[in-house]
Amino acid sequence: MSAILPYEMPALVTTAPLGLHRSTVLPEWVDWNGHMNLAFYVTAFDQASGAFMRNMGLGRRYVDGKHGMTFVLETHVTYDREMKGGAPMRFTTQLLDRDAKRVHLFHEMYHADEGYLAATNETIVMNIDYASRRSAPWPQQAAERLEQVWTAHQHLPRPAKAGRVMGLPKKLSS
Amino acid sequence: MKLPPYPMIEAAAGAPLDIHRATVLPEWIDWNGHMNVGFYVVAFDKATDTLCNQFGVGWEYTREKIGMTFVLEAHVTYDREVREGDPLRITTQLLDHDSKRVHYIHAMYHATEGYLAATNELMLMNIDYATRRSAPWPAWAMPRIEQMAEAHKHLPKPRQAGRIIGIKRK
Repeated sequence: MSAILPYEMPALVTTAPLGLHRSTVLPEWVDWNGHMNLAFYVTAFDQASGAFMRNMGLGRRYVDGKHGMTFVLETHVTYDREMKGGAPMRFTTQLLDRDAKRVHLFHEMYHADEGYLAATNETIVMNIDYASRRSAPWPQQAAERLEQVWTAHQHLPRPAKAGRVMGLPKKLSS
Repeated sequence: MKLPPYPMIEAAAGAPLDIHRATVLPEWIDWNGHMNVGFYVVAFDKATDTLCNQFGVGWEYTREKIGMTFVLEAHVTYDREVREGDPLRITTQLLDHDSKRVHYIHAMYHATEGYLAATNELMLMNIDYATRRSAPWPAWAMPRIEQMAEAHKHLPKPRQAGRIIGIKRK
């Protein structure tokens, strides 16, 4: 049984992949190595997940109205190139899978001016009931929107960096 | 250089490494009222600093412009919420290493309630300060890494290590 949200939904974007989020590397995200610290890549990607959720109709009104929340269950980041303070970021997001309560997303972070891939993030996000703080089915409007994005994304090629198992390359390992 | 131009701390005994302690800071809390996903990684990164200190490649290594350590890849499992002020205990297990890299996993526990809050598997690479490219571990670090690897080699591999992300269907 899924809830019906009482507020107006934003216009749905279904481009494949989605390109909903842009941001800038904040000065406080830079560490003693002079580049964005690994943790703040996760923060930046989490904001890209937030943009995905707003597109589903699950933005700030969803939490502030005490309807629900979304929790990240698991996340995998590849750090492909450094980003310095002030660097502009552009994100793309591909929906890899979904079920009644969860989405499996794949984000790519690009330097918005220079164009290079800086990092990727594969993540599982779960819908949470506000009162019980336990998993719950997507609200009805969000479930419908999710299916529309899935229709647009299901035939995209699977990203090479999705589904990675971490380990040292065998021939180089000592 | 056989020895670094700063003191090496004494190698910690025991397997896994179990010396890192922290507290969830107010600024780590998000609008959901719990530690935000990014700040779990901040907390884990401080445990990586503790690990690097064991190898003599902590902040002084960068201050002296010898080298740095860069994370190549990270995987986090968020197992249970933690709140502002919660005490954290983070343990670290080496999984593998080579001449330039270490592969390890941190486990974050609520220090007084004992539950597992999160895990973080990481691949860390040594970087030459001047070239900003990968380089072999310095002479003083390698014996420390090998000593820890030896102490950790009989630990069971945590079930959170080597995970593939996906929606599991029953």
